[in-house]
Amino acid sequence: MNGRFSRVPTLQKIAEAWPWWLLLLALVGVRLSKGAFFADGYALLSRPFWPGSAQSEWLRSAQQVSDQSRLADLERDNRRLRQMLQLDRTGPGLVSAAVISREPSGWWQQLELGKGRLDGLSPGDAVLAPGGLIGRVASVTPTTARVALLTDGSSRLGVWVGRTQQHALLLGLGTPRPRLQFLEKDPGVRPGDVVSTSPASTLLPPNLTVGVVQSINEQAVPAPDGLVQLSAPVDAVDWVQVRTKAR
Amino acid sequence: MGILHRQRWCGATGLLVPLFTLASPGFLKIAGVAPSWAVLWLLPWALVDGPASGAVAGLALGLVLDGLHLGQVSEAPVLVLLGWWWGRIGRRGAPIERSFSLGLLALMGSALLGASLLLQLHWQGALPLPLAGWHTLAAQSLITALLAPLVCSLLLLRWRQVASLRS
Repeated sequence: MNGRFSRVPTLQKIAEAWPWWLLLLALVGVRLSKGAFFADGYALLSRPFWPGSAQSEWLRSAQQVSDQSRLADLERDNRRLRQMLQLDRTGPGLVSAAVISREPSGWWQQLELGKGRLDGLSPGDAVLAPGGLIGRVASVTPTTARVALLTDGSSRLGVWVGRTQQHALLLGLGTPRPRLQFLEKDPGVRPGDVVSTSPASTLLPPNLTVGVVQSINEQAVPAPDGLVQLSAPVDAVDWVQVRTKAR
Repeated sequence: MGILHRQRWCGATGLLVPLFTLASPGFLKIAGVAPSWAVLWLLPWALVDGPASGAVAGLALGLVLDGLHLGQVSEAPVLVLLGWWWGRIGRRGAPIERSFSLGLLALMGSALLGASLLLQLHWQGALPLPLAGWHTLAAQSLITALLAPLVCSLLLLRWRQVASLRS
């Protein structure tokens, strides 16, 4: 009887194993906290090896590829729907052309392009630069085209303010910033709103970015007007794209 | 009529005017506005070759430049007038040689040309904001007057030599 009792662990032995009890308690704590200590410790130790700028560039470029793909899909859908509505009279033709002469300031605001009628350009074609619409083809020769910029005093263009869903008229003033002439007395437009070509436009490709509203003059009569900063830098453009009409 | 217009290569230098107008070198601009190359070429030509030749050269330049611009406004009338006026000055008074005189004539010519364009554009409604036109007029007159002593002096010197040799 004595021998059998001596094999049962005593309280003293249990107390002597306190480090193991502490370890067990710590493990229970880890379990209950979902490994918080380990995760934080790992984060601290592995911080020097975290993904750097190269990885973030890869991710960003992957995102851009994805965005471009989605944009192409949406444009294709948009074109198909517009053709169904018989709004789209413009073809998808885009002709790249070099700027061979520029006069963004002075008496006339114009560009001269290195492509003309032989490449399918015709008067009225929209001219795009990185950033958005910059003007329209005014005249063509067999190998050149003259572009009237949106800033030219003779330029008149119907535009669309997307946020407020309103039409307006963009008038060239001969200065770097054309005037946005509203048709209603309370347009609700504010600086920072994006101006684009009208979604219902049949003369120009729809939804092309034109610029950003810089200022609004609410006191103007008969309707408020504003100034628009064009989104494409005309002074620095060496190549443009011309949206040619469908033949 | 003078004798300069009979020298083909002298007349051919007039082709540089549309060329420079199109090339529009950026380092020769003030506030983005290029000089009036037509004025810079026409001034020495008319001073050497007389009023009739100056007026004809002004008309030719005006027709060419009108073809290079948007819209229907014309530079030809004022260039004809300037060619005739400068030709008379060259024929009647003492030969103009001082840089200041050349600069002043170019300034007046460029200002007159700019004022004519400003009025035409404004009347046609192609320049809703006359202030933009005044800015262009002032900048173009200034840069033309600044370049005139350099460009016009060289042309004047060369063409006077040619005229004296041929006569």
